[in-house]
Formats: sequence, structure tokens, C-alpha cells
Amino acid sequence: MAADSYAGMSGLVQRSAAAYAASVPEHPADDGFFGPGSVTWRLSADLSGPVPGLRSLMVQALHPLAMAGVDQHSDWRSDPVGRLAATSAYLTTVSVGDKKTAERVSARVRRIHEHVRGVDPVTGQPYAAGDPALLLWVHATYVDSILVAARLFGTAVPAADADRYVAEMVKAAELVGVPAAMVPASVAQLDEYLASVRPQLRATPAARELMAYLLDPPGLDPDIAEIWQDVREGTIGSLPGWAREMYGYPMAGPLTDARRTEIRQALGVLDTVFLGEPGVLEARQRLALRMRAARAA
Amino acid sequence: MKRGTLAALIMGVGTSAAVTVALRRGHGTRMLRLNRGLAALQLAARGGARYAGSAPRLFLLAGENRQQLRNDLALQTAEDVATTLGAMKGVLMKLGQMASYVDDGLPPEARRTLGRLQDSVPPMSAELAAGVIEEELGAPPSQLFAEWDPVPIAAASIGQVHRAITRDGRAVAVKVQYPGIAETIEADLGNVSLLRRMLRIIAPGQDVESLLTELRERIIEELDYRREARNQQLFAEYYDGHPTISVPKVVSELSTRRVVTSDLATGARFSELTTWSQHERDLAAETIYRFVFRSLYDMRAFNGDPHPGNYLFHGGGKVTFLDFGLVKHFSVEELRPLMDMARYLCVENDPEAFRRSLEAAGFLKPGAPLGTDVIVDHLAVFYDTIRKPGELTITGDYSSTVVRRFFDVRSPIAPYAQVPRSYVILQRINLGVFALLGELTATADWRAIAEEIWPFVQGPPSTPMGEAEAAWRATRPAERISRPPS
Repeated sequence: MAADSYAGMSGLVQRSAAAYAASVPEHPADDGFFGPGSVTWRLSADLSGPVPGLRSLMVQALHPLAMAGVDQHSDWRSDPVGRLAATSAYLTTVSVGDKKTAERVSARVRRIHEHVRGVDPVTGQPYAAGDPALLLWVHATYVDSILVAARLFGTAVPAADADRYVAEMVKAAELVGVPAAMVPASVAQLDEYLASVRPQLRATPAARELMAYLLDPPGLDPDIAEIWQDVREGTIGSLPGWAREMYGYPMAGPLTDARRTEIRQALGVLDTVFLGEPGVLEARQRLALRMRAARAA
Repeated sequence: MKRGTLAALIMGVGTSAAVTVALRRGHGTRMLRLNRGLAALQLAARGGARYAGSAPRLFLLAGENRQQLRNDLALQTAEDVATTLGAMKGVLMKLGQMASYVDDGLPPEARRTLGRLQDSVPPMSAELAAGVIEEELGAPPSQLFAEWDPVPIAAASIGQVHRAITRDGRAVAVKVQYPGIAETIEADLGNVSLLRRMLRIIAPGQDVESLLTELRERIIEELDYRREARNQQLFAEYYDGHPTISVPKVVSELSTRRVVTSDLATGARFSELTTWSQHERDLAAETIYRFVFRSLYDMRAFNGDPHPGNYLFHGGGKVTFLDFGLVKHFSVEELRPLMDMARYLCVENDPEAFRRSLEAAGFLKPGAPLGTDVIVDHLAVFYDTIRKPGELTITGDYSSTVVRRFFDVRSPIAPYAQVPRSYVILQRINLGVFALLGELTATADWRAIAEEIWPFVQGPPSTPMGEAEAAWRATRPAERISRPPS
């Protein structure tokens, strides 16, 4: 199926913003699974935001079974913006929502996953989205992407905090159905795990098609499309070399400081637009106030 | 986000929604729109800007703005400042302010985005602000001032205002810039490839480089408060003792690149003035009018920001003028054609000479294939208030007509008309002043007041305020024409 069989991406910013604002609770029952003093909360507000989202999708898609599940079951093609918005809402709720809400949205994801089963046409292997091994892959690539993007384009995380973050995120994996014992709890364990999966990875035609679409989505407003070029370049630049090679993206060389600055600027502009959407500033202020109170305590 | 919001914000192009739509449809008006957009941005770059329409006001009455300042979210370190205003956000804020200043209004989406960006910048914590004072002035506020209010009374675009009492008992307003913000914005402006690309989307084939240079120069200039302090002092000295015009004096020993200290002014805001009697509104309007044109003709200077937030009203026509961040000084040569234009059109009724003055000043291309009557027809609207003697009410309708005329790309003279760099601010302020006077539905014999001020007429006082002003002028030294600050 050609990339143009995907729907356009107009409304990406508005719908992501609305999903975000709605996912930051106004009257939380508790501080959730991580709390305002956590590294998770701090990173949830990092400027680099859009890059890890895109980067983790790119790495995740290199797992043929994960990609087959997306390709055969997800509503990516008909409603890509809704898909992205729902994913980011889910991540926001798990990160900063209260426990009950985080558990509720996780249970829903687990229920949906029960129906996502099939056979990957490339490897001939059966897959199930509820398979803890696949869920762990999705989890680990996301956690890794958050740290890599913050280091390159946002506020870098000190090594100790990076370890803390990976350890905090074990709970997020558990919520979606991965036994805690399987989940890396430090940066070293995370790296080890990611390396262990690498032999199974390859860029299938479905993965290439989805990425071609995500990296150059039709229907963006012209000014957002311009900014998206930087998000794309930052994302590709942030990939591990082996992932870039699998996709066959040209090696643009290492990101220079000047280029990183420019991508950072683009992310700042994008963030400004995001901030202009209804409810986003208030949501951020709610979180900032709670984080501040936690720091003072 | 609506189409082109971001472009509008970055470009400062009020019609950018139209620009984008035209681009997408490949419409025939494309280049016209693009050129018009670029022209608006050039105006922005040249005219500079202070505060957006929705921007927090400076020098509020004590406490008026306290609820809006999110002290609970106060920035506590220079790193907080960099996080909040780095990555282009500070630059966008300045650009947005320029845009709102220069154009006939940003599209609502861009205005909202800009407003939210401004709302997203909390004030400095008391400690952080005190740290800036100490770094700039060598001692903490508790030592420098007899009293220091650690709670800011108002937000400025990249700083905030504190009240204080000096050791010799003066009540002052101290504007303090966020620490490191100038460096952050300068660093972002040092890497302009993103801006360059955005400009190229909107204005392909245009001279993007010179535009970038102007934008950078203007923004960087505004980061240095010393220029503003010098200008304010110049106006304060010139109008010292004036019966109705008041300008807070700068305390220069307490002013630096990042701090400006001036006398604390209190009074009614513009919004309050609009509820006063028509007589009071007329008097305030007369003072504003006198201030603008007296400054132009006597000081050869124009205070660049007719924003309603920059005035305080005290009744009886007494007005305090605030914020001298954007002042344009004219040379004698630059001022002469302006004078000639008014003189030939309004006093000597010599349209051909009027046209020659327009051409000499660069407002109109020489040899434009247009009859002089057409030119007068289209430009005389700017002089409507002063062409004939007698009382005249400036209405909101009139001021919007003037603004529309100024920005009308379909006008027959549009292809031949331009605003030369030296006059951009002047033109914009004219429009801003008319808008203010229109909002006040102010009535006066503007022509008679102009005659008092015009050096080529030097008419007699025409109002009680004119009498008082003449008495004040008589006490002043003969040579009071100020020199631009070096």
C-alpha cells in the first residue's frame, strides 16, 4: 500500500494539544505512580518532546512483529493524527495522571491488545500485541528515546537521574502488562536489552512505508511542515547508526552544534504553537506548581 | 492552529492568513500579497516595537496587575529563564511585539499564540530579581534603596517592574531585566537559519538577508535599557515644568543596561479615561496631540509607542507619558520635507509643491504616472484634521479609515508609494495616535493647535492649555532643541 493511502495530518498540533491538556488532571486523587518529584515528571515537560515520539516509533517499527501488528490492526492509515494524539494522551496520563486513571487507561490498552493478533507476512511468525516481549520492546525504545532526545535537544539528564528514570518507568511497563522482572531498571540494563533484540530487527516494507509517511506527512500547515523538517532531521540524527542503516537513510554525519541549535529552535517554535492551543498553558502550570511544591517539601 | 498562525507570528504579517491561502490556491494576487507582507515586516523591523496589544502594561497602579503575575510560578534561577525564554521563545516574543506594533493587527490566532507565550513567562522570584540588581548596581536592593518592594507590580516583556523608595526619599519604579535573557536572545539570533527559511516561505526571492539584519539589530538594540533611559531623560528634561505633560525622570545612577529606575508614576489608565466626561477626554486628547507634535517639531524626536498602556491620566488634561523604549530622532533634513508637506497642503494650498515634497522625502516615486489630484485625493485623508480650521471630532471610523488607507494595496498610488526608513516610526505613530484619539472621540480645533506648533506659522495660543503652554515656553531657554543621544 502506498504512503498516499494514509490520511493527511492537518490538525496535528490542535489535537495533540487537546489530548495533552485533557490528560493533565485538574483534581488528581493522588500523585500517580511517579509523583511531582520524579524524573518522569521532569522529562514529561522537556522541550525535545516530539523527537522521542517519532524516534521511538521509528525504532519500534524495526521489529517485524511489532510492525505487523500496527500494520494489520491499527487505525494509522485512516486517522494518523488521532492515533498520535491518543498515544501521547496515554503516555501523559500514565506519567502524570493519578493512579486510578493511569490504571484505567492501561487496562483499556491491554484489552485492545487482546484482539491484535496475526501472522507477520515477512517472517511468517505469529504475533500477539499482548506478548510481553513485544510490549517490552515498545517500552524500552520509548524510554531510550526520551533520554537520547533530551540529551541532544532538551535539558540533558545527569547519569544518576537517567538511571532513576529507567527504574521509574518499570512501573509503566508493568501497567501495560510486562512482568517487572523482565524490565530493565538502569541505563546499562536498558542498553543491554536493546542490543539483545537487535538481531531480530529489520526494516520491512510496512515499516518503510509508515516511516516515509511520518517523516513527510501530507496535509500539515505549511509553516508546521517547515518546522517538521527539523523534527525529522533531529529524529534521524538521533537514531542509532544501525537503525539508520536498516532504513537506508543517508548518513548526514554527526549532528553539529549549529544544527542541533537550529533543531532546538525549531522545537521551541513548535512548542510555542503548542502552548498557544487552549488549555496547554494551564495544564503545564498545574504540573509546574505541583513540581515546585514537591521541590520545596 | 489555523493556517499560517506561526508564519504570522514569525513574520509579523497581519495578512499572513491571506498570504497562505493565496499561496495554496496559486491565486493571482500572490505576489501582491507577498510584497505587502514583506513590506509589513520591514516596517516591523524598522519601526521596532515595544509591547503587544495584549501585553502586560508597565507602571501599573500599585497592585493592579498582581493577580495576573504568577508569582507562585516565579522563575528562580537564570537557568529557569533560559528554559522559559530560550529556544527562540524570547525572539518570538520580541518579533510578535514588533508585528503587533507595526501592522493593523495580527490575525487572532497569532495574537492568541503571542498572548499565551507572554502569559507563559512568570515573573522572577524576589531573590532572582535582587540578584540582577546586585549584579548590575553592585549592591542588593536592601542596601541601595530605603525601601524595596520584592513583589513586582507589573511585567515587562523581558523583565518586570518593582516599586522602591530611594535613599533620598524618591518613590521610583525599577524595571529589571531577566538575567541572561539578553544573551539567550542574542544566541538565538546568532543562528538565523530557521528564521531565514521561514522568511523564504513567505517571501521567496525577496531580500531576506537585509531583513534578517534589521530584525536582529532592532531586537538586540532593545535589549539594552540604557538607550531607553537616555531617551526618557531627554523627554523628561524637555517637558520639565510643562503644565499638562509629565515624563518620569530617570535616576541615572540607578540605571544600567539591564535596570532602569525612574520616578514612580500613578494615575488612571486609558480604560478608565474612556469612562470620564467628554470634556476630560478632550483635554487628555489635546495633551497627547500637543505632546506628539511638540516633540516632533521642537525636539525633532518622536516617542515611538502610542500604546494606550503608555499613558497615565490625572484629570484636567494632565498626562504622564511612559515608556521611551522606541524613540526616533530626526535630523533637520529629515524633518524638513514633513514640514513642507503639511505646509504646502494645508497652509499654502499648493498641491504641486506638496507632491514635490512627497517625492523629495521618498514617499512617492518621482515621475509616477498619476495626476496630482489623485495623489492629493488619496493622501489628504492623513491631513483631514488639520486642513481646515474649526472644531472637529476624531471618531473611531475616521481612524480606521486612515489605517485602512495606509495599508491599502489596491490604491492607485500604492505601486508608487512607500514609507522611507526614516519615517516608518512616524507614520506608525500617526496611525496609533489617531486610533487613540478616535477611541476618545476627541473634539478640538486641531488645526489651530497645529498652527501653534508649526514653526512656519507660530500661531497664537488657541485654547486655555495653549495659553498655559505658551507661558511655560516663555520661561524656557530659547535653544531647547535636543540632540539625539550618541
